[in-house]
Amino acid sequence: MKKLIIIFGLLALTVTSYSQRYLTKNGHIKFYSETPVETIEAHNHQVNSVLDTQTGDFVFKVLMKSFEFEKALMEEHFNENYVESDKFPNATFKGKVVNLSDVDFSKDGEYLIKVEGELTIHGVTKKVMEDGTFTVEGGKINGLSVFIIKPADYDIRIPKTVINNIAEEIEVTVNISLEAYGN
Amino acid sequence: MPNSKITAMKTWHKILIIMFILGTIGAALGYKFVYNKPHRDFEKATPDFQITALDLFSAYRNDKKSAELKFNGKVVEIAGLISKVEEADSLTIAVFVMDQGMFGDEGIRCTMLPNHTRAIEALTGSEITIKGFVSGYNDTDVIFEKCSLIK
Repeated sequence: MKKLIIIFGLLALTVTSYSQRYLTKNGHIKFYSETPVETIEAHNHQVNSVLDTQTGDFVFKVLMKSFEFEKALMEEHFNENYVESDKFPNATFKGKVVNLSDVDFSKDGEYLIKVEGELTIHGVTKKVMEDGTFTVEGGKINGLSVFIIKPADYDIRIPKTVINNIAEEIEVTVNISLEAYGN
Repeated sequence: MPNSKITAMKTWHKILIIMFILGTIGAALGYKFVYNKPHRDFEKATPDFQITALDLFSAYRNDKKSAELKFNGKVVEIAGLISKVEEADSLTIAVFVMDQGMFGDEGIRCTMLPNHTRAIEALTGSEITIKGFVSGYNDTDVIFEKCSLIK
């Protein structure tokens, strides 16, 4: 009988460990640059993200060519001159939710999170630490974070001729709706 | 003032006025065609490659680097069995599932152009041909944007 309990216990553990992975393939990332001369905004709606609610591991994969701009010329400059998307097609984030114990994934509500990890853009990897929120609702996790990145940190050079058009600090908004994966 | 000097000044005036007008026209044309040039019309674009969905996915899976160099940023027409159609953020995404991996379905994901969303919804489970802009491979899926249904 004891053995049976242990076996069932183990089975239950495997079942729960399966449902600890949450993912989306339709995450949304927006970036926003504002100067007195020009406002530039771009959107990417095909962002991959995976969260392991057991370990806190959190990964993002972003294709640079999926960013859409209002003006074709901006999109062209972004891809060809700034992020060089032919050479560096992906941006990635690999990190962890460091205050995992503050989040109760089984209880609906809004939780403040701290995420720490390595962000790679334009082939340059930087350590980052950002704040965000998880809103747990009906088994789904909505993640939201707004933070600043500086193109110069990622070796992205803005030519002098357009230096007044592009902000030194770009506001990035990440908005994802993660769903449980696995049974 | 001698007459010749007045004529010379008039000529200079004329040249300046013409230069000013040309400059204004140039700036206006520049604004219209360079700064404000329209986005590429992906619905009318001639595909750079025509390939089956499976062959394209295999190309990225087997040799990511060379597939990226060949297909990223190109207009590609693919034919294959459409597995499902997803809605997200008011966008419609046609999905060709090729494999199962760590993170569920893997394959090709195509964001449809707004005027092609309704037609695609009725075609789940059938063989279709789609054309769109390849933005790359994120280690699970090949991503297409601005897609139109060919047949």
